[in-house]
Amino acid sequence: MATTNPHPASLLVRRATAIWALLGGVVIGLVVAANVWSVAGGALFSRPVPGVYEIVQVGVAMGMFMFLPYCQITGANVSADIFTARLRGRAQDSLVALGSTIALAFAAFLLWRMYYGLIDLQEYRETTTIYQFPIWIAYVPVLISLALLSLAALVNLIEAVTGTTPEREGAVH
Amino acid sequence: EFVLKLHHFLGPKAPAQTAMLEPWAQRIEEASGGRVEIEIYPSMSLGGTPPELIRQVRDGIVDMVWTLNGYSPGLFPRTEVFELPFVHINDPIATNLAIASMFDEYLAEEHVGVKVLFSHVHAGQALQMVKKEIHSPDDLAGLTMRIPTRTGAWVVEALGANPVSMPVPDLPQALSRGVVDGALIPWEIIPALQLQDLTDYQIELAAETRLGTSVFQVSMNQDRWNSLPEDIQQVFLDNSGEDWLREVGSIWRNIDNGGIKVATDAGNQHIMLTPQESAVFAEKLEPVIDRWVDEVSGQGIDGDALVEAARAAVAGNL
Amino acid sequence: MGFELLIGLGGLVALVGLIAIRVPVAYAMATVGMAGIFMLSGPAILMSQLKSLGFGVFSNYDLSVVPMFILMGQVASKAGLSQALFRAANAWLGRLPGGVAMAAIAACAGFGSVCGSSLATASTMGQVALPELRRYKYSPALATGTLAAGGVLGILIPPSVVLVIYAVLVEANIVTMFSAALLPGLMAVLFFMIVIAIYVWLVPDAGPKGEPVSRAELLGATAGILPVLGIFGLVIGGIYMGLFTPTPAAAIGVFLVVVYGVARRMVSWGAMRDAVLETAKASGMIYMIVLGAELLKIFMSRGGVPQAAAEMMLNSGLSAHMILIILLLSLILLGCLMDSLSMILLVMPFFWPVVAQLDFGMSPEDTKIWFGVLALIVVELGLITPPVGMNVFVINAMARDVPMMETFKGAMPFFAAEVVRVVLLIAFPAIVLFLPNALS
Ligand code: NA
Ligand code: NA
Repeated sequence: MATTNPHPASLLVRRATAIWALLGGVVIGLVVAANVWSVAGGALFSRPVPGVYEIVQVGVAMGMFMFLPYCQITGANVSADIFTARLRGRAQDSLVALGSTIALAFAAFLLWRMYYGLIDLQEYRETTTIYQFPIWIAYVPVLISLALLSLAALVNLIEAVTGTTPEREGAVH
Repeated sequence: EFVLKLHHFLGPKAPAQTAMLEPWAQRIEEASGGRVEIEIYPSMSLGGTPPELIRQVRDGIVDMVWTLNGYSPGLFPRTEVFELPFVHINDPIATNLAIASMFDEYLAEEHVGVKVLFSHVHAGQALQMVKKEIHSPDDLAGLTMRIPTRTGAWVVEALGANPVSMPVPDLPQALSRGVVDGALIPWEIIPALQLQDLTDYQIELAAETRLGTSVFQVSMNQDRWNSLPEDIQQVFLDNSGEDWLREVGSIWRNIDNGGIKVATDAGNQHIMLTPQESAVFAEKLEPVIDRWVDEVSGQGIDGDALVEAARAAVAGNL
Repeated sequence: MGFELLIGLGGLVALVGLIAIRVPVAYAMATVGMAGIFMLSGPAILMSQLKSLGFGVFSNYDLSVVPMFILMGQVASKAGLSQALFRAANAWLGRLPGGVAMAAIAACAGFGSVCGSSLATASTMGQVALPELRRYKYSPALATGTLAAGGVLGILIPPSVVLVIYAVLVEANIVTMFSAALLPGLMAVLFFMIVIAIYVWLVPDAGPKGEPVSRAELLGATAGILPVLGIFGLVIGGIYMGLFTPTPAAAIGVFLVVVYGVARRMVSWGAMRDAVLETAKASGMIYMIVLGAELLKIFMSRGGVPQAAAEMMLNSGLSAHMILIILLLSLILLGCLMDSLSMILLVMPFFWPVVAQLDFGMSPEDTKIWFGVLALIVVELGLITPPVGMNVFVINAMARDVPMMETFKGAMPFFAAEVVRVVLLIAFPAIVLFLPNALS
């Protein structure tokens, strides 16, 4: 596979997805902390965190969406290479391009639809049970994640079309 | 001719499906002379999570849902009045009829995009304790209690205990390991979670009075409803009216009675507080009403008027 | 064939086609699911459903243990738990014929007890044990085959991501599933050791003895695994004993391995960053698959496919055990195409309604537990069998000089042991059901 140096714009998107994923890690870290705090508080003072359940739900959902762009741009999504392993570089690239196009279409579609999901949640004022946290706020990082996911898929697509895909870590063929 | 998908969150063998939704659907199918067919999809099999049910019916993803209002806190502030303690007293029939009687004047405006076919409640929240016998709010001080809804959380706080929310399936383990000392939950759930083995005391106030309840609704997408011919609409209305609400009330009363029987058969103590003891609870819980009125006034709702009307409507149907 | 089955078949063909041209499994499922919903129910329903479906799936409380158990495994690997495990196991077993390989299996089992994923276990233990196996001149086939198979223990020994997903799908209790998988998991460890013993008995050159170790070294190495035992005891023991439910337990596990790693100065900011990024990749991929599978499930439910398929199976006149074997064999076939998790997500909406109605002479709850463990083992076999065999790829990538076929050959005896184990578990369900029943 071609090993030309990636374009600066591609590097920038890569950097952005990694930073965004690390922020997602911070969110998951806070969920971990809330759980530890709740168990300790429950055991020591019989005062668990009242809404730890909803903290987990909202926090993990946000954090996991934030992981997606990095997951996409590093090519971590499982695919079956077996039938296509013998194809030459160009053909391989066109399959990667196809996969990236589908990912791009899906991410952009989801971004568009979940934007309307956010509007709905704002309009109907849905909240979590205990803390009355307005759920639409959690959609903000989700929409940013989906925008970044679209961008990541676009980078994958362009690199595949131009034959500048960086060699994958742990590539096996 | 009219095939309608009804989506809900419980399993196909739950009494809510077998004792309520199936007979209701069957009657409508028969009364329509076979022109209506209602397909029931249990266990969220058409996708999504329980809190999404109301959006699914609003958006027409499914034609009908049976859902719990409390899954979407903030969405039904007016109907929430029936969750409050001492609004619902002890009779699901009375509360079902009260909701229906207040629907057009007070509640309809918050049910946007759906045609509510009927709303109903369960028999009511009660205290189910692992090992602590409760006779006064003081007995609850500092204990940790699992709560069902935000109004349930306020009840528990007003009684001096710490509220914790958790998924219902986690409750047995939380009880058995002392993560919670008890739960605010109806009797009806006892057999499903084997609570008779995990708790010693089932406590309600005098005259089976409960500490609030939960409101459910069976609703149809508004556009779908509008698209039905008038005679078919009439079939739905005929089978979802007062007679049916009474029947639903007694169905849930019976499920609840079945639950407490399982507990007492297993040797649990079913405590009904004396009127004097209950009065102390009533006094402690009065601020919950105020808190709720405050909360909804932020949304421009006259909570006092709702409480008054709801209490009168329930009392009128007792 | 009814209309429903045609829809199902059409969907399956489209799915296989997309996967075969290397569309990632998650996106292949999502594409087929969305196209199907579009065709059956129109664009409006599809567009509305996607407004909140993604957030709903990602906020599933039970799934939250997945990123946490993966993060726990990642940090544990950075914190040197894997080296400590292998060193201790090697101190005890290394001097036997084939002993270094046995030690690798034992260390994989130990690592699997704190890690929820198979690939993570294979790659972590591969990095630690492969250089040692090569140093002792183990045959390339046995060395890489052992580690590929050992990695499977990451998922066979609870905690296990696949079991979590199974429990979520069929509404089983996660704790029950974990306790059910424990004895069979230990049985796999034992069987794998026996495989190595027989292998080196037949081919002595393949697995030479290691060096004997001093008593001090033995004690030191053993003491080194006390933290693993402590964390395992608290987290997993805590789950079995019912001290915590899985989500708080996983959080405590993450917290403890981080504390341990920082205390040992093994986990720096850089290591933490790597662990989070690895977790992002592994769990992001899983969540994407879960979302894709949810879309596919909606499509199939709307088409009435699961009921139709269940009816066809149940009316086929085959015995319960015949149907069970057909289902398990079809899982092995599917393993040529996709990873274990996608398989479980794809087939359970069809398989479970069938299995739930079969009579194996046990309660429906027991059937649910037993079938889950059987399915887990069978889907995991795909990790070490051609053509896909993810574990084999991972280990083989670390030993570039070893041909892929050698690694597959080395994994074959372990595959045979797994088949024996599945047969035993089908014949004696008590091995699976004993622990959950004793604990409840
Ligand atoms: Na594991
Ligand atoms: Na395979």
